[in-house]
This record gives sequence, structure tokens and C-alpha cells, in this order.
Amino acid sequence: MWSVVKSVLAALIGVQSNVKRQQDFSSGKPLIFIVTAIVITLVFVLILVGVALVAAR
Amino acid sequence: MHLPWRWLLTITCAVSCSQAQANGWNMPVGVTDLSRDIYNLHMTIFWICVVIGLIVFGAMFYSLYRYRHAKGAKPANFHENTTVEVLWTAIPILILIGMAVPATATLKKMYDTSDADLDVMIIGQQWRWRYEYLGEDVAFNSNMSTPWEQIHGEEEHGEHYLLDVDEPLVLPINRKVRFLMTADDVIHSWWVPELAVKQDTIPGFINENWVKINEPGIYRGQCAELCGVNHGFMPVVVHAMEEEEFDSWLAERKEAQEQEAMGVDREWELDDLMARGESVYRAICSSCHQSEGQGALPAFPALANNQPMIDDFDWHLDVVINGVSGAAMPAFRSTLNPVELAAVVTYTRNAWGNDTGDVVQPALVAEKIAQ
Repeated sequence: MWSVVKSVLAALIGVQSNVKRQQDFSSGKPLIFIVTAIVITLVFVLILVGVALVAAR
Repeated sequence: MHLPWRWLLTITCAVSCSQAQANGWNMPVGVTDLSRDIYNLHMTIFWICVVIGLIVFGAMFYSLYRYRHAKGAKPANFHENTTVEVLWTAIPILILIGMAVPATATLKKMYDTSDADLDVMIIGQQWRWRYEYLGEDVAFNSNMSTPWEQIHGEEEHGEHYLLDVDEPLVLPINRKVRFLMTADDVIHSWWVPELAVKQDTIPGFINENWVKINEPGIYRGQCAELCGVNHGFMPVVVHAMEEEEFDSWLAERKEAQEQEAMGVDREWELDDLMARGESVYRAICSSCHQSEGQGALPAFPALANNQPMIDDFDWHLDVVINGVSGAAMPAFRSTLNPVELAAVVTYTRNAWGNDTGDVVQPALVAEKIAQ
């Protein structure tokens, strides 16, 4: 699970090593990456909303 | 050997920077706390960009020179380096966040229009600014006062060519003034660099902005949104005064405007209306209908010897008060007061050989407006 999160975070900033990419493509299902990515995107949006709320105070 | 080079670079930079300030290439520091904040923010971000530029281009040119082909340099052919890639992604993110923090703090101040001591409505019109001091019953138009002879090259340019008005916006120093900004016809933009205010005025919308001026003085600006043929001829002049001076100016202005309102009920002589009408015509009408009423076809008809206008008094008055829908002629019912309207209609009916002898009383105009 941790390696999936790490891969999604790497995708978020657009940097990933070739070895890791091969690993992700050979093992694991696409669905788990998609779901994790959606969750992490939501968390990212919430963090931005939180920062905006703090800044607007 | 490299030391003189570095010195030369430093001196060149210092000289060019102070020159930029003196020549007006850079933005002005301005005369409000906020304009100073904006200037400092601008310079902070400018120097961050300079440092990044020096590092990036320095590394590039150094590598081009040091590892040139002529010296037998061999290209590297590795595929990836995750550490470097993460670094060159993370560092820009940190720099951007570092720039966003002061930028957001300044933006927040710019948008905080609360607790104003004075509200001024700024209305853009083709092609003048109108200022209304809300709750004070003071309102006036601010027209460019540069003579057309200077614009047409028949006279030498004056000191403040295209940047002078008949009535400047008068503001007090040390008080927070809120601007409510809109337009009557098309989008204009009210811009005074020294006050760090540049705000679009949009028909049907009210934008807000504010200033708290620190130093008395005269600050000039221009319309910054292309708004038609005379876009270049609607300057902004702000006269910032000491507070007591401003209060007495406002009281004087109020009284003058009350006097003017009383003038509606009295009977006016032809000569008085003609004199008044001529100044209104010069300020308001002549930019389209031209100085001698000769017009500028096809958009702006001539008023001199305009037979339909001469024959039909009611229609003439109606056009001036309510404008012509679908044409360039705006309604002047809220821009000019009844005395000014009566004067300018009297003037146009008697000037340039129109000689109708008609005297339009302000009371009649007031009645027409009320209808």
C-alpha cells in the first residue's frame, strides 16, 4: 500500500524512476492506483482550501 | 583577472537600476503605504527572478563554454537521475510558495475596503470621468482641459499635455477613501500610478478600491482601457490636500452646488446662458461635434445650420437630455444639471449662425427631466 501511495505522490509531481515504473506495471491492479490517486487529489484540494481559509483570516 | 569583471557588472547593474527609477522605466514607489508595499513586492520578485536567471543562464553558458566540443568534451548518456529531478521540481515549488506568501498578504490589503472615511463614486464616460462624493451631495465631471489646438499641432504642447483636467478629483490625505467604480457606456479603466490604483470601470458592475494618501500633491493618470476614439483624451488628475483644506473645499463645493440648484428656479438672461453654454459645450460636446459645431461625419452630425435641430426645439432638447438610442449620442440627464443643460441647448441654438433667439430656461429642463 505504501508503495502505491509513493507512486501516486511521485506522479503528482511528475518524477518517477524507471525501475519503480516497471514494478508498478508488472504488479498491482490499475484500480488501486486510480482510487488512491482520487483520494490523494481530494486531500490535496482540502489542504489548499485549508490554506486559503487560514490566509483569508 | 575575473575581479574587475565582477565589479564592472555590479556597477553597471547599480547604475542601470537607479537610472530605471529616474527615467520612469520602473513602476513608481507611490505615495500610499499600499503603493510602497506593492513596489517592494514587485522589487522582491524582480530580484528573485534576476537571481534565478543568473544561476540558470550562468550554468548554461559556463557549460557551453567549458565543455565545448572543440575541447573534446563527450556528452553524458545516462537516462535518469531521480534525486536531481526531485530537486528541480521541489525547489521551484518552494520558490513559488515563498513568492505567494508576500503576494497574498499584499493582495489582502488591496481588497480590504472596509472602514472607509469617505466614499467616492468614479464613473467612466465617453470621454471623461465623473466623481460623486457619496452622502455629501457633491458631484462633478472631470474633462480634459488640453486645448484641441495643441492636439492638432497648431500650438506648442503645454506642460501637462493630455494630462490636465478642468476639475481634478480632490481627496484628503491621511484618510481612507473608498472608490466605487463603474461606467455608463463601455469599459474604462481608472489608473493613477502614484496611487497604485488601476481598476476597470464596467457598465452594470461596481468595482471597489481604496487609497490612503500620505503626501499632498497632484497625481496624474490616464484611462487604461481602450474605450473609443477619444480614449487618449480622458486623463485622471487627483489633487490630494491636507485634511482641513479638503474639508473647507468640500463645504465650498457643497455651497456652490446648492447655489446652482437654486439657479434652476430663477429666470435666466440669454447672455448668461450663452456664456455658460459655451463653456459646457467646450468641455462636453466639442470632442464629437467639434469646436465650431461643424461635426465629424458619419458618426457626429454638424450642429451649425442643422435645420431639423433648429426647426424642432422639443426634439433637440429631448436628444440632449435622453440621448439617441443606438447612436453615439449619450443621455446627459445625470451628467449635466438643468442649468448646464439649458445653457448648452441655448448655446447650440444660437451659436455659429443658428440664431434662433431661443432662450431655454433651466426650470423647463428640470420639468422635462422629471417627466
